[in-house]
Amino acid sequence: MSLDKLLDLVNSYGSFLLNGLLISFYLTASSYLIGFALGVLISISRAYGPGFVKALCQAFVELTRGTPMLIQLFLIYYVLPRVDLALDPLPAAIIAIGLNSAAYQSEYLRASMSSISYSQWEAALSIGLTKLQAIREVILPQSIRIAIPTLANELIYLFKYSSVAYFITVPELIYVSKFIGSRTFLYIEVYSIIAVIYVAFSIAATEAFKFIERKTSIPGLRISARL
Amino acid sequence: MKVVLEVSNLWKFFGKSPVLRGVSFSVREGEAKVILGPSGAGKSTLLRCINLLIKPDRGSIILDGEEVTAPGVNVARVRSKIGFVFQHFNLFNHLTALENVMLGLIKVKGMNRDDAFKVARESLLSVGISEDLWSKYPAQLSGGQQQRVAIARAIAMSPRLVLFDEPTSALDPELIWEVLRVMEKMSKERMTMIVVTHELGFAMKVADEVVFMDSGAIVERGPPEEVILRPRNERVRRFMERMQYVYSLK
Ligand SMILES: Nc1ncnc2c1ncn2[C@@H]1O[C@H](COP(=O)(O)OP(=O)(O)OP(=O)(O)O)[C@@H](O)[C@H]1O
Ligand SMILES: [Mg+2]
Repeated sequence: MSLDKLLDLVNSYGSFLLNGLLISFYLTASSYLIGFALGVLISISRAYGPGFVKALCQAFVELTRGTPMLIQLFLIYYVLPRVDLALDPLPAAIIAIGLNSAAYQSEYLRASMSSISYSQWEAALSIGLTKLQAIREVILPQSIRIAIPTLANELIYLFKYSSVAYFITVPELIYVSKFIGSRTFLYIEVYSIIAVIYVAFSIAATEAFKFIERKTSIPGLRISARL
Repeated sequence: MKVVLEVSNLWKFFGKSPVLRGVSFSVREGEAKVILGPSGAGKSTLLRCINLLIKPDRGSIILDGEEVTAPGVNVARVRSKIGFVFQHFNLFNHLTALENVMLGLIKVKGMNRDDAFKVARESLLSVGISEDLWSKYPAQLSGGQQQRVAIARAIAMSPRLVLFDEPTSALDPELIWEVLRVMEKMSKERMTMIVVTHELGFAMKVADEVVFMDSGAIVERGPPEEVILRPRNERVRRFMERMQYVYSLK
């Protein structure tokens, strides 16, 4: 692996790589946000919802966590068209990965919700808040703060794992680098470049979440084992 | 004088065991009622029933002429008329002292931020929390300060009635004093209140009536001097003797 070859590669295929990177970003960000929004809804439903909603959400989480993401992706991309719901590769991947992430994010949020003491809930109701208001104003703001480190993990994980979209021909980072590799046979060089990109993303995301955590930390409140 | 709260024949079971066994009493406007009794007597359960955090199994609770235990009652609206002060303060950890007081005003009473701020300011000042503490978070306040903010949070809602569940039991003696003084002032200003406490001095000074509970029932009631100094019931006498040992200086 030489510097010349690397520079050559960036010169002739840089825009390809950049495109792949942007698609990976887009895919990751969209599915992460979908996962977060649904994750919040699911965790609330599981903690406070009526019985059948609880059961439904639990079934969704167990099924999603219990099957490989690739299968879920194939189901959405190849099976939905049979019921006349054909999706393009990118939206199909966003939905599949978003749903998958929702299952995980709901579990992280559920764990942090259960760490909020019951007395916060009682105090919220005692001033006359409705259950929904108590969740929104008192429970969620505290539990999301607690979940920030695990939510950061999920984003980093998703950025890497969103490459399964490759299997349904979404031109994301892995897809693009395979393409470049097959054209140039500079596999090692291409894969080195994207490895660096993945690591850089991971470091940037970690720092960004640390910043958010600092910004939103509650003064004086000591959380045990802050590392 | 006008009756604010009327509790009739209240029963509550946890599993098979009765925790409240036919409790009845009423509270008049401006009255301070103190509930005494040993641990496990059902005092907290009674207060939680009154502000509908727990549903009683039998009996009725009437607040301002409205039966709040009736089916179909809007529990959030009823709770907004009853303040609750907890043993462990239970301030919202993620909000400043000021925001703790403003939350209910904005979300429950529908005030805008300016009006809510004015009301919150009055409440905080009335419990002796000065402006330099308003932007502090609960974890940055002493126990006594936290409990006074909690009282401010309760009275800011202009409740018809404030319930106190051992409000000083988690505090050091000096801080107990600052909280009791605020409560005494509230009573002087004719706030209607029910106070579960072990502070006999406070009960002697402030209570209009003392109610003694044991095993889920009221076993003695009357003016504080009677119940505390000259109890008739054997169980109450034993309790007071022990309290004398703990609190008496002689
Ligand atoms: N949620 C619950 N489930 C089962 N039993 C309960 C529950 N809450 C209270 N109890 C029981 O009911 C009884 C009365 O409890 P309660 O907390 O009302 O007593 P208390 O008079 O407030 O006592 P303390 O002075 O210890 O606060 C106790 O025996 C308690 O164990
Ligand atoms: Mg109690």
